[in-house]
Amino acid sequence: MNLNTSILKYIEDVKSGIFTVEEFTAETLQRIKDVDGDVHAYLSLNDSVLNDAKLIDQKIASGEKIGQCYGFPISIKDNICITGTKTTCASKILENFIAPYTATVINRLQNEDAVITGKTNLDEFAMGLTTEFSAFGPTKNPWNLDYVPGGSSGGSAASVAANECLASLGSDTGGSVRNPASFCSVVGLKPTYGLISRYGLISYANSIEQIGPMTKTVKDSAFLLNVIAGQDANDDTTINNDNVNYLEDIEDGIEGKKIGIIKEMTTSDGLSSEVSTATKDAIGDFESLGASCEEVTLPTIPYTVAAYYTITSTEAGSNLARYDNIRYGYELESEGYEYNSYISKSRAKFGPEVTRRIILGGFVPSAGHAGKYFLKALKVKSKLISEINKAFEKFDYLISPTAPVQPFKFGEKIDDPVTLMLLDYNTVTANLTGKPAISVPYRVINGLPIGMQIMANSLNEKLLFQSAYALESKTNLPEVPL
Amino acid sequence: MVDEEEIIRVAELMKIDLEEHGEHVSRVKKMLEYFDILDQIDLSSEEITAQQKLLNELRKDEFIPNDKKLIESLKNFREHYVRAPKMN
Amino acid sequence: MTKIGLEIHCQLTKLESKLFCSCKANYREFEPNHNICPVCMGLPGSLPRLNQKAVESATSIALALTCDTPEKIAFFRKNYFYPDLPKNFQITQLNVYGDMSVGGEGYVSVEDKKIKIRRIQLEEDPGRIIYEGASERTKITLVDYNRAGTPLVEIVTDPDFESPRQVRVFLNILSDLLENLGVAEPGLEGAMRADGNVSIEGGNKVEIKNIGSFHDLEKALHFEITRQQSLFERDIEIAQETRHWDDRRKITVSSRSKEEDQDYRYFLENDIPWVKIDQSTRDRLKENMPESISSKKERYIEKFDIAPQVADIIASDRYYSKLFENAYSDNNAKDIANLITTDVIGFIDTKEKQQNSKITSKHLSDLVDAINSKTITRNSAKVALQEIVKSGKDTKFVLDEMDLGQVSDSSEIDTIISKIFEDEKQAVIDAKERPETVNFLVGKVMQKTKGKADPAKTLELIKSKLNQ
Repeated sequence: MNLNTSILKYIEDVKSGIFTVEEFTAETLQRIKDVDGDVHAYLSLNDSVLNDAKLIDQKIASGEKIGQCYGFPISIKDNICITGTKTTCASKILENFIAPYTATVINRLQNEDAVITGKTNLDEFAMGLTTEFSAFGPTKNPWNLDYVPGGSSGGSAASVAANECLASLGSDTGGSVRNPASFCSVVGLKPTYGLISRYGLISYANSIEQIGPMTKTVKDSAFLLNVIAGQDANDDTTINNDNVNYLEDIEDGIEGKKIGIIKEMTTSDGLSSEVSTATKDAIGDFESLGASCEEVTLPTIPYTVAAYYTITSTEAGSNLARYDNIRYGYELESEGYEYNSYISKSRAKFGPEVTRRIILGGFVPSAGHAGKYFLKALKVKSKLISEINKAFEKFDYLISPTAPVQPFKFGEKIDDPVTLMLLDYNTVTANLTGKPAISVPYRVINGLPIGMQIMANSLNEKLLFQSAYALESKTNLPEVPL
Repeated sequence: MVDEEEIIRVAELMKIDLEEHGEHVSRVKKMLEYFDILDQIDLSSEEITAQQKLLNELRKDEFIPNDKKLIESLKNFREHYVRAPKMN
Repeated sequence: MTKIGLEIHCQLTKLESKLFCSCKANYREFEPNHNICPVCMGLPGSLPRLNQKAVESATSIALALTCDTPEKIAFFRKNYFYPDLPKNFQITQLNVYGDMSVGGEGYVSVEDKKIKIRRIQLEEDPGRIIYEGASERTKITLVDYNRAGTPLVEIVTDPDFESPRQVRVFLNILSDLLENLGVAEPGLEGAMRADGNVSIEGGNKVEIKNIGSFHDLEKALHFEITRQQSLFERDIEIAQETRHWDDRRKITVSSRSKEEDQDYRYFLENDIPWVKIDQSTRDRLKENMPESISSKKERYIEKFDIAPQVADIIASDRYYSKLFENAYSDNNAKDIANLITTDVIGFIDTKEKQQNSKITSKHLSDLVDAINSKTITRNSAKVALQEIVKSGKDTKFVLDEMDLGQVSDSSEIDTIISKIFEDEKQAVIDAKERPETVNFLVGKVMQKTKGKADPAKTLELIKSKLNQ
């Protein structure tokens, strides 16, 4: 049985009886046992996964109405809540937190008969780009175990790349789906802000983050978006997408389309020569597909990383204030402590990056400093939105490499905060503007992947998938060597 | 220039104990210094905006009782009350 | 000159659900922590869902207080750590990006003085903390989150009050107005609270917090003014500070907490989009608003020639005005109004009695009809009222059962008068000499008939008998 298959192919095979859901799930479970000791993509596994699979087989056998997922195995980033299971955010402070309710995206997956394999690793509270900030140890890149898988949804990307599931749900605040997708050679989508319900996603920076599908193919990404997108009464920020079918017309191509090559993202200091070469190749591919490419400048981009970190730490400082260990959390006897010393003691369980972001989040919006940092950051966001809207009057797509560099070794960049921040240089624009962006696997050079990023205007995911599918069809990538 | 004393004071307000984490201060300072780049962009004509909704798109006023056992799934509760450390 | 400003918090208890979730808005009927859900407990991953009617109710309050109401409203986070705040921030409103709270400037007239409303905002109530333990050492903090997320309207005034008495008059007007709007029940325990700030001529502003009731507010204001005046007289500077009302000792105490050091880091609550409230919505809310107390009062005076004090009492109270509105016809309105203010109020003078009373508007109009047609006397009406309030029985049935029908048959009254003339010989002599003492004899007749005799006819008959 080939585990390196797409969701769509899997569904065909289950329908035509080539294998049962249980057989495929058992094989996947075996694969996890074989490789996850090295990869460490998962933080916890679903104990009843085989039983869940069996129930779907029974449904199929009895001719009952079956959901469109046909029991395909999907992993979930461990910052999304599922009733009765641990949701840790890869943090010691939530090590024993059992969610008493289920996220909307999980309900939608389960209603369509997807099978959840388990919860995947991430940088603590999704703050990071390498999974090195997970309190439970980093995830390794399946392409080379000495290298980082990207982050923060590194566990999700690695689980898909290592064939430990067929797809995963990650979350993307500043590139947390697209960056690991690029590093692990999977497809990662950050949808339009409000397209997917965040109910049940543990907030890091709620004004810009979205849950996003991580898949092996562009078509799978569109399929998964069909299942989870749309307005949700539990999330006031969700928007109506008129039930668009994202798979429809996906093979229409991009002939005659106009593509803007974002100058600031393709000429920045941090861009590696491999990534730069790959980007030129990709532009050539787009042109050969009948699109016209032209450089476009968005002059605000050099300020976006500072704006992004200012906004996200402000929101994180507030969103993470609730972790005072009083209503839920870990065991720490309150006897002998006064309130303030108790919560300070409890919050010492936060890891180093989260701790720093919380301090930053206390600083940049404070009465004495908001004018210099936070309010400016919000205005950078406004300015960037005007600029990108103007660009979309002319272009159908804006492209760049997803990350300025290929995966790097563990420990290589963790000590320099500014270098780490700049890894987000190409991805934060989509979050700050709310626009959809997708990372498509494009090259494997020296055994390490490179992804291309395509952005489209708000709610134009269908158009976005058409270009991603077209680019994907021009690639011929090797299989993961694991 | 960012004052380290102030970073320490802010950390305290955020209930972050820096006793064992002195190295955080210098790293936070480095990040703040990077944010100085925000002083170089002209933002005078920008306004702050946000997502908008119509009044009638909001949740309707309806009482739906929640599962009564929620309190039992939380720690630190005692005879229905949540127990907090003593206040000063 | 003394200057007092107020921050009033009023729960919108007439709503079904909380501000951001579907738990019950009026938490009072629940066991501790049994009116909670992932949203009001601020569990990780939960999101607030704004209650449409809460926005409408708060906007109605703003409109009723003649405040400006903006096209768009926004919510902000006020960040601080406290055990009664499940998220360790409170979702509230601010006007930092222009007027974006439900209400802007408005005015309320208090005895010819205009009190300026600075703003009105919609926000969530925190949970409740209970301190337990005999000694300081064994003291523990228990929290009940049933109240967390209850919709709260905060009304902030300018420091326009000159005395605690003015404050009291204002708060009475405000409570009546909120109750009349049908959005709040100011009588419910803890449903309406107020903080005050006080400054005297030449002194700094002092905020007073933690005041449990309006009654205590007046006491706290009095105490604080006296304290400041005595400092001033001794040339001691009045520090700008926050003081807490010590309910046990009935004094204000300087807060040791570093309240002034707090930095609330207000910023937009992005989980709640800005809400557009267009002109047509505001018009609709205005249209659906019950008539204001003042215009109701005007109408009673002008249309029915009701005395201003009587009109004021009826218009200010939802219960009485409802009784009145459903009882009156054009020719008996004044009588109904008088019956309410002279007799009904005596039996139903508290909210609790209002709730238990069985009287209906039909009872009132029936009673006034009976008085006007001389079927019963005013006195009998009062006796009947007491019974009706208790039992709610039909008026005619009560009058028959209690035998309250008026005696207007001349021969019957005459017989009684003859008997009294025999028993009260001295009084009869007195009445012949000094006609003004005749009332004694009338009173005797009323006594004998248990108030049922027609007083006018009785007087007429006595007079003619005296002249015989």
